[in-house]
Amino acid sequence: MAHQGSFEAEGVVKESLPNTLFRVELINGDLILCHLSGKMRMNYIKILPGDKVKVEMTPYDKTKGRIVYRSK
Amino acid sequence: MINIKNEQEIKIMTVSGHILAETLFEVLKHVKPGVSEIELDKLADKLIVEKGGEPGFKKVKGYHHATCISTNDVVVHGIPSDYRLKEGDVIGIDCGVYYKGFHTDMSETVRVKSQKSKVKNDQVDKFLETGKKALEEGIKAAKLGNHVGDISKAIQDIVEGEGYSIVRSLVGHGVGRDLHEEPEVPGYLAENIEKTSVLRKGMTIAVEVIYNMGKNEIVLANDDGWTIKTKDGNFSGVFERTIAITENGTVVLTK
Repeated sequence: MAHQGSFEAEGVVKESLPNTLFRVELINGDLILCHLSGKMRMNYIKILPGDKVKVEMTPYDKTKGRIVYRSK
Repeated sequence: MINIKNEQEIKIMTVSGHILAETLFEVLKHVKPGVSEIELDKLADKLIVEKGGEPGFKKVKGYHHATCISTNDVVVHGIPSDYRLKEGDVIGIDCGVYYKGFHTDMSETVRVKSQKSKVKNDQVDKFLETGKKALEEGIKAAKLGNHVGDISKAIQDIVEGEGYSIVRSLVGHGVGRDLHEEPEVPGYLAENIEKTSVLRKGMTIAVEVIYNMGKNEIVLANDDGWTIKTKDGNFSGVFERTIAITENGTVVLTK
């Protein structure tokens, strides 16, 4: 059975929660729960509320995402 | 997390793939004008159980058939209905088998022809041949040490080289204890080849070529929550095989 691929969305970090979870508001207005990707953890990249980030999401659960990039 | 299978597990998947291949080729022999989609689905169900497996798709939440039958402009996930096939229809049959804890996944698209028909529709036959070739090239590119992106590029080059379009939102996938596992194997190159996962020994992947004769946009149709159709109404094809990356080269499990 075919699988729907994941896609990227952009948003702004609204608040930071424990265990590197963040609430991110996407461009289309949705508020989702995101975690920090392993690559960003490994390279010690910090995320603060107010940062513009790229989030990887799956079409199967639109309430969660993974932060993969912090824009400057 | 990409799940690596050991030799024992790949042997089980080989049996699963063999059951699936025998079933699918048998069902394809029954594709003739006048046969209904649901009859083909029931036949597949019966054959899988006879050969000792379980229909893998019935384990997907919300899906109650053994196959996905996608006719004409339906891309994937067509729910088998009592629509009777007509001469010239393009039918894609997607099937899965669950055997001793492991899934395998396979698809094939064919034209509905009655035996006396000698009419060759060159356009559609070329469309289907391109898909088969893209799948072959994709499987050849799935060597130990290559990246997932090499498979994607091989498929995209052949399909788009002939002027058809690759569906972007549907992808091939790892397969094993779950029907859909990591990694995602798109039919087009989405990022640098080096950034995609490396193919290692023990990976089992369902390589899929999902492509349209016209433009690549697709829409969710029929309000059943499953059927996906092409936006411009043109034909769509799907070809899929499950492969395992081993140290002796790439083995097609579904045969």
